[in-house]
Order: sequence, then structure tokens, then C-alpha cells
Amino acid sequence: MRFLTRKNIRSAAGILLAYVLLQGLNSAGLLSNYVLFIIMVALINAILTVSLNIITGFAGQFSIGHAGFMAVGAYVSAMFTRFVLNVGPDTPFVWREPAFLISLFAGSLAAALVAYLIGIPTLRLKGDYLAIATLGFNQVMVVLFNNLDFVGGPRGFTGIPKLSDLTWVAGLTVVSVLIMRNFVRSIYGSQCVAVREDEIAAESLGVDVTRYKILAFTLASFFAGTAGGLLAHLLQLAHPSQFTFLKSIDILLMLVVGGMGSIPGSIISALVLTVLPEMLRFSQDLRLVIYPVLLIVFVIKNPLPYLRRVTAQIQERVRAMWVNRFGG
Amino acid sequence: MPLLEVENLSKRFGGLQAVSDVDLTLRKGELIGLIGPNGAGKTTVFNLISGFYRPTRGAIRLQGDEIAGLRPHQIEARGIARTFQNIRLFKDLTVLENVRIAHHSYARYGLWDSIVRTEKFYEGEKRLTEESLEFLSTFGLQDRAMEIARNLPYGEQRRLEIARALATRPQLLLLDEPAAGMNPQETKSLMELIEFIKERFALTIILIEHQMRVVMGICQRILVMDFGKIIARGSPGEIQKDAQVVEAYLGRQARRHAAAD
Repeated sequence: MRFLTRKNIRSAAGILLAYVLLQGLNSAGLLSNYVLFIIMVALINAILTVSLNIITGFAGQFSIGHAGFMAVGAYVSAMFTRFVLNVGPDTPFVWREPAFLISLFAGSLAAALVAYLIGIPTLRLKGDYLAIATLGFNQVMVVLFNNLDFVGGPRGFTGIPKLSDLTWVAGLTVVSVLIMRNFVRSIYGSQCVAVREDEIAAESLGVDVTRYKILAFTLASFFAGTAGGLLAHLLQLAHPSQFTFLKSIDILLMLVVGGMGSIPGSIISALVLTVLPEMLRFSQDLRLVIYPVLLIVFVIKNPLPYLRRVTAQIQERVRAMWVNRFGG
Repeated sequence: MPLLEVENLSKRFGGLQAVSDVDLTLRKGELIGLIGPNGAGKTTVFNLISGFYRPTRGAIRLQGDEIAGLRPHQIEARGIARTFQNIRLFKDLTVLENVRIAHHSYARYGLWDSIVRTEKFYEGEKRLTEESLEFLSTFGLQDRAMEIARNLPYGEQRRLEIARALATRPQLLLLDEPAAGMNPQETKSLMELIEFIKERFALTIILIEHQMRVVMGICQRILVMDFGKIIARGSPGEIQKDAQVVEAYLGRQARRHAAAD
């Protein structure tokens, strides 16, 4: 039970507390469905950003086709719930929930499989060339789903049962992020980093560069698929226009703002950048100016270390107050 | 059986014959030098042996097994490690992490172990860190373990690169100009280091070097290359007197002078 360190217990308790709080507020009617929806979308974006971080931040491969894998996950998992497992509004709970898990898993696996097949030829490319190839893949997926009539074509895949709720989204966010973090903090992750740092040196030390690129790409796409599946079952819709390269750029943006190679950075940045545009709604059209300006500020002056320092200072002050009042 | 056998090794880049018909036999425990003017094809020979280039023609056998055409990481797994002319450390990682990556095959846990954090994972990680630290202490780098590699002084970066190559536990080590850019003191300690690791790890070494003091001082045999061909081979004493070598380095005029002496 070595994972039961103080730090891990504290993080787990914090996550659980936040979850209970949100759930409580929602059932007490104090949290509107709109706010809850934004929180779920933010968490899904966190999965996407962390997974892109595996490819770009850790393994150093520049990919802008992440939304393509998300689309595969969304469509395949929705096909499973709709056509294979036939889940509908009156499916009993005991079957509905496991069926959702199966669908999500199928969607994720499909995304991973596609990534594996796409990765073998494209990961030979470097830098800009890989970016263009992945962008092209993204576009192919959009065109493909636009032309698949049995999943709605350009009208989108409608009638997907609403199976995503806070429990599913929060639970799978925690599990996905934990798996990716554990991957990164192991010799596998180290070898991915070696590939990023210097491919030739890595190869000379016996690191199978191709294998680790494909491994990172496949694993990350698996979770992009999970995120896509969750989103489709949240919106009850999968539409080709949700998965264009603009979505890929959005994820990349969250990654860059949060910092390449930082998992907490990715999570915080995904949450902030999802919530921020919603909070700017009061400014109406001006938000289209404010948001990009804020983004530029974020990229130039990375606020994350600052935020961390402020948090540490607040913690220290609270502790000092506590000690003053109650002594030790 | 010789440790390494190279036969008729040739590499052509378009119109340039970089290496032609190089033959080389290496017994276990030898330390040989590979010298020659700039552009003679020495590093290309290393790139061919370590798998970064595919030979146009010829055979490379390690303990009788053909290795020409294998990928670099496969060749590394068979026991050939190398360093690079321009140091290729993982510059933004710690010294310890550099060695840990080289030690990767000793982690002995699977992807599943790392994801669900089994006991095997923790044991493997612990073993990896302990072995890497012990390894660093062999090279006097234990106090630097947590430093970022790029902050090390030049001499120690070279030392770390050699340590990292040895962390893969090779039988054959290819050193590409390890003394380049070193001052006389650093060069001296490098020579001691090479002789130390050769004994300690029972290594066979091929050394490319321009500093004659190093080559003549520690190599048992020397091969001289020029324009992709081996033009002379022999003991340091023989090489210094070889007319073709003098010509390759100093030109025909010098050869005439040497002959007159």
C-alpha cells in the first residue's frame, strides 16, 4: 500500500470533497444545470489536455489532430450505445451503467487502434511535417463522419442517450489522469522524455524510439477517445463540426498555457480556459476580444507558478493564524 | 573468435564514397585507436557499426553474428555502446535521470505494473535508482546526481556521457573524440578514466581521437584512415614512422622531408 502517502491521501480527500460538494449543491438545487454542464465540459477538456501532453509535452511529437481521435471515440461509443447495446431512456439502471462503460471502452479502444495504425507511418515524420500529417488525419475524420449516413452524416449523430453525469465524468477524469500520470512517472515515461530530448542519444542507449512514439500516441488517443465518448453522451449529439482541427487547436492552446510536460498545469489550464469564456459572457461581443488578449497574457506571462506561490502563501498565513490562536 | 569483425565495409552517400572497403578485427579486451584527417570517414565507420547508417556493402559481425542492417537500439541491446563527437546528453534532465534512462532494461516491470503501481513497480524503481546512484559514484558523479546535465562543467559532461553509455553494460564501447575541446589536465584525467573503465568493465574500446598524446598513450593498435580507406595499421611506434600517414596529415612535401631525414 505504498501509494497511501500523506500527499496522495490529501489529494484524494480534496477531490472527494469537491465532488460531494458539487453533488450536494446540485441536488439541493443551488447549482444550475448550466454550471454543472460547464464543469463537466471542463473536466472532459482536462482529459484531452493531459492526453495531448503525453504526445506533445512528454514524447515531444507535435500533433494537431487530437480532435480526430476524439471523434472516433465519440462516434464509436455512441454507435455502441445506440446500435450494439440498444440503450434507450427506459433501459434499467443496472444494465444502462455497465453498458455505458462498455461503450466508452469500445470508443476509446477504437481511437487507440486508429492512432496505432496512423502512428506507424506518420510518426516517422518530424516537427512541422508530423503536425501537417496529423492535421490531415483530423480533416479526413471530419469528412468521413460527414459522409457516413448511418450515423447522421452532416446532420450529426442524434438521439444518443444522456448517460454522462457528474459521477461518470469526474470519475473517469480522475482514473484517466491517474493512469496517464503513472505512465509518465515510470521508466516508460522516462523513455518518452528521452525521445523528446534527443532521439539519436535515446536510440544509442537502446530506447526503441519508434515504439515509444507509437506507445505514447496510442495511449493518449485512447483517452482522447474516452473524452469524446463522454462528450457525445453529455451533449446527446456527435457532430462532425465539433471535431474539426479548431478543436485540436483549442486543446493545444490549453496545453501550451498550462505548460508542456506539466500534468497539474494541463488540468488547471483546461479548467480555467473552459470556464473563462463562459464568465466573460456578460461582456457580450467584447469577450471575443478579451479572451484572446487574456490568452496572449497567459502565454507571455505564465501565471501558473505565480498562482502556486500565492496558494502557498495563503496556506502559510492560515497556518500562522492557527498557530497564533491555538498555539502549535 | 574475435569480438568484432568488419569486412569490406563501404558506405556511399550519392556521389561521395565516405567509407570504402574497411576491414577490422577486434579481439576482446583490445583498445584500438582510429585516426585520420578531418573527413576521413572515422565517424561514418562508428555510425555504421552502431547502426545509425546502413552499410552500402560489407559485413559487421559481433561475436560471429551479423549485425549490419539492425536498428541502433537492437545493436545496443547486443552490447555495443557509443558516445558522440558533440556531446549528446539529455541536457534538461538531471544527471541521475540520464543514467536511469540508460539503465532502463534493468527496471524489469511491465506497462501494467507502472499503471496500477504494483509492488514490482516500486521494487523496480528502487533498484533502478539505487543502481544508477551506485553507478554514478563509480564515476565520481554521485554529488551531481540531482543537477541538470547542462549545468555540469564540460569535462564532467564528457564523463557523464561515457558513464551513461556504460550504464547499458556494453562489451564494446565506441568513443568518438572524447578529448575534443579538453585542456591538458582534463585530457589527462580522461586517459585515466578510459584505462580505468577498460579494466573495471572488461571492455573492448575503439577510440577516435585527434589528440595524438591520447591515442599514442593508451592505444595498443592504431588504424589510420584517409578518404574513406584504411591507409595504415600498426602499433603507435610503427604508425608514427609510416610514410603514408605522414603524407595524409602533412602532405607530400613533408613526406619528402621525412624521407630525407
